[in-house]
Amino acid sequence: MRGLRDFFDAERKRVYQPDAYFTQRVMARLNERTSQESGVWDFIPISTRPVLALALMLIVCFVAVQTFMPQMPQRGIVESFLESEQNPAWSFLYNGTDVPSRQDVMQQLIAPEDQQ
Amino acid sequence: MTYGTMEFDRELIVRAQAGDRSAHEAIVAQFSSMVFRLVSRFFRTREDVEDIAQDVFLKLFARIDQVHPDENFPGWLARVTVNTCYDELRKTRRRKIALETYGPEMAGGQSVAPQEPDSMGKARLALQRLDPKLRIPLVLKEVEELSVEEIAKTMGLTQTNVKVRLFRARKKLQTMLGGSEGHSK
Repeated sequence: MRGLRDFFDAERKRVYQPDAYFTQRVMARLNERTSQESGVWDFIPISTRPVLALALMLIVCFVAVQTFMPQMPQRGIVESFLESEQNPAWSFLYNGTDVPSRQDVMQQLIAPEDQQ
Repeated sequence: MTYGTMEFDRELIVRAQAGDRSAHEAIVAQFSSMVFRLVSRFFRTREDVEDIAQDVFLKLFARIDQVHPDENFPGWLARVTVNTCYDELRKTRRRKIALETYGPEMAGGQSVAPQEPDSMGKARLALQRLDPKLRIPLVLKEVEELSVEEIAKTMGLTQTNVKVRLFRARKKLQTMLGGSEGHSK
């Protein structure tokens, strides 16, 4: 164990000292790291970034389509089938378009009662 | 060397926490010798010591908010330093084991006998082969001459745990140096 004791004694004397530019090097690395970490993406784990980017892109595309594409009137098979059975006088109840004025509606509703 | 009795400016810590760059610079200038000294205990080349000392300060400033100015800042810094050294020693050890297991065999290793190291060389090799968990408390005790209580604080362990690790480290070293010429684990 004498070798070990000598080794520990020798180790006590072996000490490195920082050179004059050590502080500047640390500060340079610190500044570099601070500027790198200022982005929003740094808060998100690297593995999830592509998924999040794709999701964001899809959301933007969907919003753009919804905003800029003209809305087509909804007129499907069911509507066109039922339309033939509808009384033209009552059609305004089923179709939102060409809503008559309030007075016309009232007259149309009252008229059958008068006839009865 | 005792980290509990080192002088430090509490105002400097407060300023550093507020993001004052001159305070950061002053902290590096004031404590770099201490960090270098501690890292030198575990790494032999100047380049390694410098790299790890830089990492220590970067870690320190990344977590400066966790420091309470009234607490023992040098002790806290010593703990960050030892933890950084521990992580690096573990990485090095893993790399070395992987290289020994899967790496190419040394060309001509059988034809030329390696030079027999002297007693100090054997001690150095045996210490390098020790698990960092055992090596760090032993070096802090024998080389840095810290008390068991200080080692416990620096490593975040109980005093009993430190004593157990010191006992195991000494026993392993004895086995390595006395028994099988430094080749046993």
